[in-house]
Formats: sequence, structure tokens, C-alpha cells
Amino acid sequence: MTPRLWVTGAGLSTPLGDGLEATWQRLIRGDRAFAPVSLFDATQQSGRVAAEVRGVRFPPEAREVQAWSRTSAMACVAAREAMAMARVTPGRQRVGLVVGGTTGGMFETEELLARLHADPGCRDTLAQMLSHPLTATGDRLDETLGPFARVRTISSACSSGANALVVAASWLLAGEVDLVVAGASDALCRLTLSGFNALAAIDREGCRPFHRQRRGISLGEGAGFVVLERAAEAQARGAEPIAALAGWALGSEAHHITNPAADGALVASLVERALASADLTPADIDYVNAHGTGTVLNDRMEAAALARALGTEVSRIPVSSSKGQIGHTLGAAGAIEAVITALVVSRRTLVPTAGLSDPDPALGLVHVPHAGRRVPRVRAALSNAFGFGGMDTVLAFSEPRASVAAVARRRRDVVVTGAAVVGPGGLRGVEGCATLPEQERSRAAADPDAHLDSGRARRMDLAARLAAVVTQSVLAESGASAANTGLVLGSSFGNVDASAGFMHKIFERGPRFASPAEFPNLVPSAAVGHGSIYCGLRGPAFATADLETSGECAFVQAAQMVAGGEAARMVAGATEPRSAIVEGVLGALFSRTPSRVGMQRDDLAAAVLVEAEDEARRRGAAVLARVAAWDEWRGDLRGARLPPPPRTPRACVVLARPDDDLERFVERAGWGACPRWVCVRAVGESDALGAVAIAVAAARVGTRRASEALLVGVARGRGYAIVLAEP
Amino acid sequence: MDAAELRAEIKRLIVTELNLKGRDPESIGDDAPLFGSDGLGLDSLDALQLAMSIEERLGVAIPDDEAARAVFRSVRSIAEHVAGARSA
Repeated sequence: MTPRLWVTGAGLSTPLGDGLEATWQRLIRGDRAFAPVSLFDATQQSGRVAAEVRGVRFPPEAREVQAWSRTSAMACVAAREAMAMARVTPGRQRVGLVVGGTTGGMFETEELLARLHADPGCRDTLAQMLSHPLTATGDRLDETLGPFARVRTISSACSSGANALVVAASWLLAGEVDLVVAGASDALCRLTLSGFNALAAIDREGCRPFHRQRRGISLGEGAGFVVLERAAEAQARGAEPIAALAGWALGSEAHHITNPAADGALVASLVERALASADLTPADIDYVNAHGTGTVLNDRMEAAALARALGTEVSRIPVSSSKGQIGHTLGAAGAIEAVITALVVSRRTLVPTAGLSDPDPALGLVHVPHAGRRVPRVRAALSNAFGFGGMDTVLAFSEPRASVAAVARRRRDVVVTGAAVVGPGGLRGVEGCATLPEQERSRAAADPDAHLDSGRARRMDLAARLAAVVTQSVLAESGASAANTGLVLGSSFGNVDASAGFMHKIFERGPRFASPAEFPNLVPSAAVGHGSIYCGLRGPAFATADLETSGECAFVQAAQMVAGGEAARMVAGATEPRSAIVEGVLGALFSRTPSRVGMQRDDLAAAVLVEAEDEARRRGAAVLARVAAWDEWRGDLRGARLPPPPRTPRACVVLARPDDDLERFVERAGWGACPRWVCVRAVGESDALGAVAIAVAAARVGTRRASEALLVGVARGRGYAIVLAEP
Repeated sequence: MDAAELRAEIKRLIVTELNLKGRDPESIGDDAPLFGSDGLGLDSLDALQLAMSIEERLGVAIPDDEAARAVFRSVRSIAEHVAGARSA
């Protein structure tokens, strides 16, 4: 098959240099960027060597300085470079933006927490949390480099960056946008350095992937972005390809929150699937850019997986890890290394594994030690990225061909086959969801432990337990098998309270007492990882963040991926335990409506099962509703496209909470005469209410209480509209 | 604190720190293997958490090399390491 997607722009901000060329020159020289941490006091840390980006450039147009984290600034450098290279003009082209990451503005939040620790009365700095949310990076890029037609923020721990490219590819194949700027950024911070030290996972000398004496990772930081577009249209506008994104595969191990499964079975199957999707065989692959963290377990698992998937070709194909030079850039790694892999293809030069003085013979790999090497051709290359919770992704890049085929837009019909809510009033399945808006507020709190095996759930925090309960419920009620099901869950601000608590203990007692068991729960995708492990889900898994519309965002993303054929079915929803910091600080900074500031929230999670219609039919599942339409926008409600008017007499409107602006929008869309159902009365205030509204709408249509339902969810500067209808 | 009290304290620490809900600390045998499927079924992440909390609560560091394996064999071996370090 002719590659259908081209990389037409690329940009980097890495510890080796400011920009793509500076990084590349030092990459092929084999330079290592490790030095003692200078960003903060790391003298109490056992491993204190890392790869830092020196002199991060904040964009000249940055007005509200407090809203910019180092993560966002590095992202801006890399995304701007990629867009300039591809000559992208947002506004004239329909351009999407996908941003991956894990730490967001954590470094800046730590500065605030350090000041609060020194002076608990300090009150003048809370605006510093403007840069905290994972969504802040996409918002800053939208302001400085946009406007973008749609913006997505995702996290799947250390595969976030690779999955940003997968989301971009699925948008392009579904025809959602003309071009996508996709990548990821993550800044170094105390939390991640303390956490990986607590896991005894840091090599004090600087990491040595594939080395006989390898002792662990080194942290790095940086950003990588690409411009992806459909090859035929790129060619028509005269864009120059760097490489083709020929194929990809993603899935979950459902094994352990920090340790990979030793046999590498999932990674091997992902390599095979990525090759198949690109119409390539191992004989076509001339290079692999490994995840190659330098831990004993990862490198052993990855070598086993490559041997299994590539067969005898593994003794021909050179493998290297860029982490020996730039460290593990966490959420950014998959994007930075995707850029590097595309450059290897385009420049016919292999990048090395620096520091590899004594390769581990047990791994059985062909290495590129010390410095880069020119080769006659790199026909195709793989880039691997694996994350906490076993969320793994393999990307395949190839030389672009001169003749390209137009993309046949594949769009499967999408249905909803399950719905569940857990919160005040306990767990509700389809019937309970259908009547939820008619119920009074229950005093009974969500009791997730009543539905879970306490032994298997012992590592899960409340967000993960709420997530596991609704995931388990929708699968059981609809009779779907877990194995080929994906999971996408939204959260407005991730695990901010536990992150602050983790840091407080470090400030109080020193990093020696950072909790190794708690650290993996702080990554934004922790609830997804735990949920996939608990329920045995092996499909695509990641978290979304989009303020109060994180649940709507997760649903739309799942519908897009199912429609595009990336997954047969996905559980999609939101999980939001009560949070003092959200109630006290972040809610005030980011709420769209002042009435919600300071409002007490409840522990709440909701999910629906989003499935391809042909798949649901094949397994004889009861279909609750057809996903008739979905849309998303940036900006306020006045600029939003109107959803299609109701087509049937028993239509209804389901909303998270009463809202005058939404009423006017519903009126303009022609749904004004339909009955309204609001969810807040029954389950209380929460950023997961949007996901509750989707579960309620699907259940009301599914139980014949309505023939179709309109949902509209809005947060500051963004919104979603979804129409569910009788199958 | 005598040896039996110290072992009881370590058992309580194992249950609370590793969140073994519903497990009676006293049901953990003094010599029962802690790791692997023939014992409590703990893994490497539990070992790290336990080492941190023993240092935090009992003031004794666990060696972070191969010697940790011997210390973490059972509740009794942990108690002996803690008592030995305290009397040293």
C-alpha cells in the first residue's frame, strides 16, 4: 500500500540543542547531555544527573507570563519550527493540534508549593497555577500559533508523544481536518526526579541503554512536534515530505503499573500490527529507534519483543536508543523520537546509542554505538514508545513515494452499547442512568470498594477505583469481551491533590521518603492504566484533558477512533474524585461560570461503551443508541456550528447543569421545544458531569424514553455537541 | 520493643503500607516468604515501598543492593535486620 500520510514539518527542543538542526548535529556526533540538575536543588536526591534544556525560549508574544510553563515554552519552540518548515497557515487551512504530555506545569506548581511550604500564609501566587493543567500547553499554542480547528490534549505516560501522532493520523484518515500539528512536551521537575529515584530506576552515571552494566534511566526534558497531512493533498500544495508515517499500532499490556511483561508479547504483536498496517515486512525495515530506557527490565523485554516480531531479520536491523543522549523525556519521548526516526529515514543516517561501551550480549541486538553512521538507504524504520500501565505504541516511518494515492476516508458507523455512573447514589447501570435526572440527590456516597476485589485494587487510588467500577459495569452489562476493548478517560486536572501531597512530604522529610507506590498514580493516565489492568483491556488506552469537558472530549475521541477503525470498541468517560485544590484554586482559575467557583464537588465517574456498529451487530449486542453526530469547537458558543435539528417527535436535551448560554444555543439549534434533563441535581457538582450526561442520554434513548438526545458541553474557550439517536 | 513486638509492628506496616485490605496482620507467618506466588505475593514495587516505610517508621535503612533480598525474605529476617541495626 502506498503511504497515505506524510510528515511535512518537524521541530525539536531538546537537551542537545534549540531546534532540529542543532539537535541533529549533536545526535550524530554521539554527544551526551547529562549533567547535575541545575533547575532546582537536587542535592538530596540519590540520582541527580539529568539532561536539561538550557535557556528555554519563551515566545515573544507571551503576554501573561504566569500562564506559561517551561513545558509550554518548549512546545512552542518545536511546534513553531515544524509549522514553519511545512508552511502551515492556520485559518487558511483546517489545522488540528494534538498535544501529549504528563507533567504540564508541575515544575512551576512546585515553585509555588515550595513558597507555600516556607510561608503557609503566602496568598499572592495562586495565579501561578494558570500554567498547571495539561491543557494549558494546547491553549498557549492555540493563542500563539493558531487558531486551530480543534485541539486535543492526551496522556498515556511515556507513550503520550507517539499517541499524539496516532490521534493526528486518525483525524486525517477520517477527514476531520486538512493537516495536524502533533507532538508532545514535558519539562523536568522535582516530582518526576523524586519518583523515579523512589523506584530506584535512575542510573547515577547517566543512562546506558543496552549496556551490560545498565542501571536505569536518566531523566531528560524537551518537546518534539511534526506536521502530518494526507500525502495526496500535501503533494498537490507542493509540500516537501520528510518521511511517510506508514503505519502504527497501539495497545495495552494489562499487566502491571510499573513493570513490563517479561516476554514482550504485546510489543511484539504491536510491531507486527504496525508493519501490517504499513504493508511492510521485517525485510523492509532498516532501523529501529527503541524505547531503550536503560532499565534492566525494559531493554530485556524490548529485545525479546523485537526478536519475536522481526525473526531472523533482527540480526540485520540496527537498533539504537536516543535516551543515551537526551535522557528519558517522558511524555515527550514518543514525539521527539518519532521526529528523530523520520530524520533517520530522510537523511539516510543512523543515530547512535551513546555510552554503549559494552553491549549486553544477552540482548542479541545489532547496535549503532558511539556515533551516527551514513547508510545507503533507510527504506523504513520503527519508533517504539512504552508507558506506565503498559500503554505501548509502535510507529512505522518509510521513505515517501513520488506517486501517492488519495485517502479513501473510512468512517464506520458508531453506536453506544453500555452506560454506567458511580457517584452519590452508588453504581447505576443502564436503567439507573436512564432515570438519573428524575432522581433526588442521594446521601449515599460512591462506594467503589463494594464492587472491586480489594486485593487486585490495592494499588489503585480513588480515581482509578471509580474508573474501574464504571468500566467493569459497562463491559459486564453489554457482555463485551475486555480483550480487544480500549479505554479513554478524561480528567480536568489529573491527580493534583496527590501530587501536591507527594511534594509536601518531599519538602518536609526529603526525597528519600517519596513513596514509590504512590508515584505511578500521579501520572495523568494512571486511572486509565489501572482500569485497563484491572479489567484486562488490551486495546488503545490513554487519558484526555479538556477542563470541565474532559468527559465529552474522551467520548468524541473514542468515537473518532472507532469510526476510523483504530479500535473495535472503547470505554469512554471521566473520573473525578473530590479535590480540595480544584475546589479552592483551579476551579476559580478555569471555570467558565463564576457560580461554580468554590462549589463543593462529589466523587463521580461515568462511562459509556462506544462501539463500531458492525462489531456490535456481529456479537449480538443490544445497541442503546446510534452516535448520529458529534462536533467540537474552540472559542465561545456564539461561534460554534449548530448541531442538526431533531428529526423525531420524542427528542430530548441532556445537560450537565442548567446554563443560560446553553439554553440559547439549544434554542438556536431548533431543540428549544424538547424536554430538558439536567444531571447535577441527582449526583452533585463535578467535572465528570459531562460524561454523566452522555451516559444518561444513551440510557434514555436505549430504554425508549427518548427517540434522540442532544448533549452540549462547554468549558472556557471550548465545547462539544453530540447527538445520540435510536438505532 | 522486644523481638515479638517488633515482628508484630512490621506485620502491621506491611498491611497498611501495601494496602492489604482485610488481611489480619497476625495471620502473616514470621517465616512465611513475602515475595513470589508461594508467599504473600508481593513484588518489586512492594519491596521499594516497604523499604521506604521501614526507614521512615522504624528509622532503619534497608540496603539497596543484593543484601535487600536476604532482608526481605520474611518478617523475621526484616525484624532481625532492624534489631541488628538498632543495637549496632
